[in-house]
Parts: sequence; structure tokens; C-alpha cells
Amino acid sequence: MKTLFQTTRRQFGAAAVAAAMIASLGSTAALAEFAHPEGFNPDEWVMVASVINTTNPYMISNIEGAEAVSKALGIKLEIVNSNNSSQTSISNILAILASGKKPIMFVNTVASSDAPPIVDAVGRARGYVSIWWNKPDEFKPQNVGDHFVAFQKHPGVESGRCGAQALADALGGEGSVVMLPGVQDSTTSQTRVAGFRAEIAENYPGIKILEERPSNWDPQLGARNAQDLIVKYGDEIKGVWAADDGMQIGAMQAFENAGLLDKVKFSSDGLYPKTLEDIISGRGGNAIVGETFHRGYMASAIGLYTTYLAASGQITPSELPDEKRESLFKLSCVTPQNYEQYLQYDEPGAADAFVARLVEAGPWDTQPVPLVGAGPEVLPNM
Amino acid sequence: MQSILSRSIKGPIGLIVSILVLIVIFSILNPRFGSIENLQNVLYQASVPLIVVVGATLVIQMGSIDLSVEGVMGASGMAWILLSPNTRHALDLGPWAWVIAIGLGLGLGLLSGLVHAKLKVPSFVVTLGTWYVGLGIAILLYGNGMLPSLTSEALARWPSRLSLGLPNSFWLAAVVILGGILASNYTGFGRGVLAVGNNETIARGGGMAVDRIKIAAFTVAGCLSGLAGILATMQLGSGSPDIGFGQLFTVIPAAVIAGTALGGGEGGVLRSILGVFLLIILNNGLVLAGVDPDFQSGVFGAILIVAIVAVAWPTRGALKVAK
Repeated sequence: MKTLFQTTRRQFGAAAVAAAMIASLGSTAALAEFAHPEGFNPDEWVMVASVINTTNPYMISNIEGAEAVSKALGIKLEIVNSNNSSQTSISNILAILASGKKPIMFVNTVASSDAPPIVDAVGRARGYVSIWWNKPDEFKPQNVGDHFVAFQKHPGVESGRCGAQALADALGGEGSVVMLPGVQDSTTSQTRVAGFRAEIAENYPGIKILEERPSNWDPQLGARNAQDLIVKYGDEIKGVWAADDGMQIGAMQAFENAGLLDKVKFSSDGLYPKTLEDIISGRGGNAIVGETFHRGYMASAIGLYTTYLAASGQITPSELPDEKRESLFKLSCVTPQNYEQYLQYDEPGAADAFVARLVEAGPWDTQPVPLVGAGPEVLPNM
Repeated sequence: MQSILSRSIKGPIGLIVSILVLIVIFSILNPRFGSIENLQNVLYQASVPLIVVVGATLVIQMGSIDLSVEGVMGASGMAWILLSPNTRHALDLGPWAWVIAIGLGLGLGLLSGLVHAKLKVPSFVVTLGTWYVGLGIAILLYGNGMLPSLTSEALARWPSRLSLGLPNSFWLAAVVILGGILASNYTGFGRGVLAVGNNETIARGGGMAVDRIKIAAFTVAGCLSGLAGILATMQLGSGSPDIGFGQLFTVIPAAVIAGTALGGGEGGVLRSILGVFLLIILNNGLVLAGVDPDFQSGVFGAILIVAIVAVAWPTRGALKVAK
């Protein structure tokens, strides 16, 4: 029942937003001159960026990156809003594929199981696709074909380890912490949780994990669970780790309401603008001690540009080494001491600047997110 | 007042017993469950669904349904935060932010009521439409900018501040509940709502202004969803189009569990409130009891079924057909 409503609940607004975006792209993007290789006619192609929704700051950033690539390469862009639903995602993608143009596609999948049908449909439309974040481990680009150019992500284990180190160090290696994972069966959440637990188990014997309460990437559920945990453990809780900044925003509000914010340390993933603001202002006696840095626009730009290289014949996916087919891109650990070096990536025009460097250096060598290894991610032995 | 209480309470005796049993069990599993701190916590968490359930009950009593709750909450919550001191800009309309945001909820409720009553479109479909309209407004207000957060400490802390030992957000809900109880028991509107739910044809034949009652009920529900959207936004300290996420599936089950039949003509505000508390206490208790997250959903559902059986037990002999 819930999924049914999730499927439909956004359609009105989402359609309006998507229409506005497409309209604005059509009218304002004076498609730049870009030197495509001979034989590649940009008018035969359409760029497609499929995102999970259009309200999450990360997804909005995904769209920003896709717009920047579209502008730089002079290829028209279509945004697919999945409304948090796999079915909507797949049916909207099929609708675009039916339009006749060959797709150069980036997909931020709603669920792992969406990847095979999407890749299959893109193949039949003689297009190319790169997928970010979620796919079944055994569904490998190398085994599927050149139309499935790459699967790309930032390592979740690394994210969890960053958060654990920052939190445990801030507590001097002693104290009890609680964890707020995201949607329980999401690979992204599971890898981050595994990284956090492994780092604590291996290096911080004085840190005790009291409990984990999955909060579905939902700030309000993060706040409610944090409230319940405060009642349960009181000031025994010295640290809180959340699998993303949205839930951390909710949890911090709960601790602030309980008058405990300055007695607890927080770490999480994503370095949302709101989080950055809290780090800069030192909210709650410098309550946020650790974050990770990556940006949605970087993910979509890397995905689309890699796919474009394959579509335009500049790379042949089957000749690439494994790490360029199933790739892990760098994730930086951010602390209140080094956050300043990341401010440049949020300035106006940062997405365009990133794309310019991406075109220059190629999809695997652009700072601050170069390729660092091959997937699939191996969970640490616990 | 005495008669209202006895009339309303007599029905859901099973519900009250279920809640008491849960309280006893959870208190044994974790003594902190029964603490004052947790009472404040439960009241704080319950306040948003309590406000929504008052409007939802009126609508369900008429035999209609209001699915627009989450969309209206999103629209009003976003409108309110953008007109109150926030991180996006310095605009602060003070009390007018409330008026405009609740007015937006009122408008959406009125739209549902008018289309339903005048154009005879089933409320299920109309309110599904206003849900999207509300969400669409919320998404447009959210735009592509950064997350708007409250910059006024006083506003952000107001819902959790205590007055007479209980959180302000609960007092706000209590005022709404009191209004709801008085309206449904002491006004022609309240009696009209039940009459429409019992038998619309007879009510119409008796000269009752059925359309006006329907429109009024949806409008009240829209206002209350709007108010709930504002309160939820204050509680989170930040605005989001998704602020109402999950409320519909707290509020409608809460009303129905408590005996407000979806067919209309039965139940009441006071009962629905007990239904909300059952769901909130169950969730809170499972966390405090330390039920493994892998099992929480399953255990929640299983206990809920047992509780519902207990609620329905006293009336199982009545000649009702379960559908």
C-alpha cells in the first residue's frame, strides 16, 4: 500500500518540475560548440539523467551535474524523476527510449534490481548507460556488453570508517555511541554501517555501540528515533553516527531539544550545505566532528561523460580494465579542521568548472574524486 | 461533559485495555518507559498526528476519506518556513506566516470539499488529486535551493519547551482536540457530520444542508493538516516537501482501529485519539524495549493485530458484516 502511494504521490509536482526543467533547458541552454569526434552527430543522441526524486539535495545536485555536462557537450538533456519508485523509473525511461533518439544515460537507481531491465532496454534502443550506487553484485558490465558502460560509486565502507574515526577520536577513544542507518536493505546503508562497525571493532576497543535504529534516510524518523534513544540511554550517549546528513539533521534537533547537543558528538556522510553551515558556526559546541565529501553533480557528470566517451567511440568498454567498468571513486574524510578546502566545490559555477576539468582529464582522473579502485565493494570481515 | 466521556469511552473499552496492557508490558521491559521524560517524549511525538486525526475523523465519520494530508502538510509547512526567519532569506511575516500557511491548507481543503460535494466526485479521488496539488506546491516552493532551516531559536525550540510539565506542541494538539470534541458534540455541524455518515439520503430529505456540511468538514481537515505541517516543520527545525511523510498511514489506521468505521456514522474524535496513542506508544515501546530492528516491523504488526482483536472483541456479537 505504501509503495503504491509512493509511486503516485509526487506525480503532479514532479511532472511540473520536470516540465519546467526541460522547458528551461530547451530555451536557455544555447548549446555550446564542442569538438565531437568525426562521425558523431549530437542530434541523433539525447542525454538522460534518471534520479530517485527531485527534493533530496543530493538528487538536485545530480541534476545540476547532468545539466553542466549537457551544456558543455551540446547534447540535449532529459531528466527522469523516479518519484522514489522503481516502476516509475523504468516506465519513464522506456518512454524516453521510445522517442527514437539514442540515449546517453546516467541512472541513479532506486533499487539494485532496477539495473538489469534498464540496461537491457537501453541496449535495445542502441544507447549507452552508466549506473550509479545500486546494482546486483553479480550483474557486471563486463559480462553484459558495451552498452552497459560502467557501474560507479563511492565506497560505502570508507564512508563508515571515516565517520567512525572522527567520532571515536573526538571522544578520546572512550564512550558509548548510537547508529542511525538508512533504509535497512539498501546496499549504500549496509556498506556504510559495515565500515563503521569494522573501524570501531578493529581500532577503538573503548567505544561501545549501544544500538542501531534504521531511520530510512528520513530526517523526521531520525529525530523520533533519536528521541526514543535519549529516553532509553539518557546522557550515556556520547556520540551519534548517521548514514547520511538528512538523518543527522533530525537527530541533532532531537538532542538540541533535550538540551544535550553540546554533550554529544556527531558524524555522518554527505556534507550537506546545512551541515557545512553547522560546522562553520560551531553549533552545539562543535558537535559535528566528521563528514565525508562527495557531490551529486560529480557523480552524474562522471557517469554521463564516461557514457558519452563510449557512445562517441572514444573508448571501447570491453577493452577497459575491470576498475574502469566497475569503479570506486574517491571519498574524502572531512573534519572541522579541513572543511575549508571543500568550500570551492559549492560555489556558484562549481559544476561547470568540474565538467571542464572532467573533459580535460577524463572521467577517472578528476579531483577531488579520482578513481581509487575496482568494485564490487568487499564488506570487512566482522 | 460527563455524558460525552462515558458515551465515547464505553465503545473503545478494548482499546483502553490494550493501551494499558502495552504500557504495563513495556514498563516491565524497560522501567524508563514509564518515566516522566518518556511521557513528554510520547506526547511530543503524538502531537502532529493528533492534530491531523481530528480533521480526518470528521471526514471519515461522514463516510468520506481525506488522503490529501501529506501533500497539504508539505505545502503549508514549506509556505510557513519560507515566510518565517530562515536560512534562505530574511523575510519574516510573523503571525501572517501562520495565517497564510493555514490559509493554504484551508484552500486545499475547500477545493476538495467543493469538488466532492458539488461535482459529486468520490472523496478518495478528489483528495488524491489535492494530495498531488499540495505536494506540487511544496516542491515548487522548495525549488532547487538549499534546505531552509529556522534561524529563530525561539520558534525552533517552542514545540519542545514545557508548559505545566508538558511540551507546547502537545498543548497545541490539546486545544485542537478540545475544539474537535466540542464541535462534534455540541454543534449542528457535528451532528450533521454523523447524520450524513449514517444515511445521506435521509439527512438530505430532512432538509439538512448536506453539501455545506461536507465542504465545511473538508475545509476544517485542510486547516488542521496545514497546522500540523507547520508544527512538524517547527519540530524538525527545517522545511521539506516530505514533512508529512508517513502521517496518512498513522492517522487513518488510528481512526479506524479506534472504531471510526470507514463507512461513516460511527466513532468520534476522542476514540481516534486513543488510536493515535496506541500506535505511537507501540513504536516508542519497541525501541525502548530494544527489539532488534530486523524484527521491529514484524513485531509491530503482530502486536497491532492482537490489539485490534481486543478492540473488536466487545462488539463481535453485534450483527455486523466484516468486509
